Amino acid sequence: MTALIDEAGPAVSVRGLRRDFVRGGGLLSTHATVRAVDGVSFDVSHGEVLGIVGESGSGKSTLARLITGLLRPTAGDVRIAGRSLAEADRRQRARLIQQVFQDPYSSLNPTQRVRDIVALPLVAQGDVPREERARRVSEMLALVGLDPAVGERYPGQMSGGQRQRVAIARALVLKPRIVVCDEPTSALDVSVQAQILNLLQALRRELNLTLVFISHNLAVVEHIATHVAVMYLGRIVEAAPTAELFGSPRHPYTAALLQSVLTPEPGKGIPRIPLGEGFPDPAAIPPGCRFHPRCPSALPACADASPPLRVDAGHLVECILAPETASREATSQVHAGLGP
Amino acid sequence: MSVLAVQDLRVGFRDGTLAVRGISLDLGHGETLGLVGESGCGKSVTSLAVMGLLARGAARTAAGIRLAGEDIARASERRMAQLRGDRIAMIFQEPMTSLNPAYTVGDQLSEVYRRHRGAGRLQARDRAADLLARVGIANPGLRLAQYPHELSGGLRQRVMIAMALMCEPDVLIADEPTTALDVTVQAQILRLLQDLQKETGLAILLITHDLGVVARMADRVSVMYAGEIVESGTAEALFGRPMHPYTRGLLDSIPVPGKLRPGDQLKAIPGTVPRITAAFRGCGFRDRCGLADRGCEDTIMPREEGPQHRYLCRLSSELQGQAS
Repeated sequence: MTALIDEAGPAVSVRGLRRDFVRGGGLLSTHATVRAVDGVSFDVSHGEVLGIVGESGSGKSTLARLITGLLRPTAGDVRIAGRSLAEADRRQRARLIQQVFQDPYSSLNPTQRVRDIVALPLVAQGDVPREERARRVSEMLALVGLDPAVGERYPGQMSGGQRQRVAIARALVLKPRIVVCDEPTSALDVSVQAQILNLLQALRRELNLTLVFISHNLAVVEHIATHVAVMYLGRIVEAAPTAELFGSPRHPYTAALLQSVLTPEPGKGIPRIPLGEGFPDPAAIPPGCRFHPRCPSALPACADASPPLRVDAGHLVECILAPETASREATSQVHAGLGP
Repeated sequence: MSVLAVQDLRVGFRDGTLAVRGISLDLGHGETLGLVGESGCGKSVTSLAVMGLLARGAARTAAGIRLAGEDIARASERRMAQLRGDRIAMIFQEPMTSLNPAYTVGDQLSEVYRRHRGAGRLQARDRAADLLARVGIANPGLRLAQYPHELSGGLRQRVMIAMALMCEPDVLIADEPTTALDVTVQAQILRLLQDLQKETGLAILLITHDLGVVARMADRVSVMYAGEIVESGTAEALFGRPMHPYTRGLLDSIPVPGKLRPGDQLKAIPGTVPRITAAFRGCGFRDRCGLADRGCEDTIMPREEGPQHRYLCRLSSELQGQAS
């Protein structure tokens, strides 16, 4: 199994990724192409946690499903530990990369016992003997902090936090190196969210896992991620190491997102967010800079041409207003702080 | 003078679960009271009990629920129907479930005004357009003719707020009003509620699990756990000097920028909210509390930490400090 892993290169390498959906086309409506992910490239090194943030409609979840191979890209390539996802079959893919979803109430089959849910990826591999499966399931349940006896239970008999632990155990049972977590704590209470975040941190250290962590909760991303990419209408508009991005955001959209975070500090009031009432619609992507209709600092030029990509010491930003200190890197976001 | 005063509210379900166990709330004109806690602690049941909208099989008792002086704990269903949407209104987390998908925004907004105020069609339309403009919707004429599914989540929540405010109610109950929204839209909606409150003197009961939202919005905060209010005080006191171990646990469990170094563990609260029945005695949090001992199985008397700052724990601040 381990022969699949290329330790030298990046854990995840994404180049020119694009995904279109066709919307409508019913009796009364016309076809519309929705470009959910539009030219995304990045690398994640082994052991890193890439946080991906953005509003609904930004393409975060589509990107997650492309990275895990649940969706096929319209164009572009995803390589996991050096191996192209397009060339891997389902079993190989499952050993390389796994995912944890937002809602542990709908991602676990309610009619199966927990031990069967966690064992399913092993069964699907087809070559793992029954005793080995049972041993691995117990090992995984213990690893995520569950009493192996819960293997006999059904998901309906467990709390949300316990179910998310089961989902994590299932994701880890094939010992993948990369786990994509799509809003893994958004359906949980804050006290339980803390348990799950601590668990992910501990697992990452113990197993040297690489995580792609998608969330709309910026405080959570700041806590867990080593690098952050900000998505807007299908593109990564800014990416940098976490402290750098939160400390000195360069894209006006990132700045607005950070301003919107409500820390528990009474007396600070509600910030005024200068974005207008518009919302990003991936079926009608504006020309020029796709953020310009909502941008408080937009110039006339922003409506005409796509913004240049600017890269400066591992901090990447797609905005005409960003300081032009560094060379424009023609190869887009490659090795721009996300790579080794 | 309070516009909403709830005294000793209790709600029980048929299976013996006590969802709300004798809580009292007091909401003044132009004030925002935050009610926080995890799912299953009784926040939403409280709001439905106040509105008289509990499902069949839930039993409510209260020493009094006074809305602008009128005791609505004993009001008829007919009277409650008159008051709801007129003097007391409610907005929910997911506007799509409370807006009727088969009617236009204009029809739904107008209906509220026509029913409660006996206004004519044109007058109600004007009022609806006016309210949409007030909640920051550009081009109200266009929006009035649209159906809810044609709007973004943020716009739908604005429409919900406009609908709730059609008759200028005294009290707005907002149950997780921004939980389903993006953070940028959340800030815009909360800002809007604050602005409208300044204009109209609206009193807001804000129910949320989001400590950031409640800290920024509320004048006073009540923390609910297992059907009881375990701590209440001004937002400054409660966030500045949290006294109940549950309040402290909640505040410690959220990541706050600058408070932790990368890789640090968050303080989680172990376990889950218990199911409470009539036989239960003592502190509902004791199974999850690091400071609990046998004394927590007896009835707990409230403690005061300052003017208006109360909490329900056997241990004083000094004793909590020694024990931890």
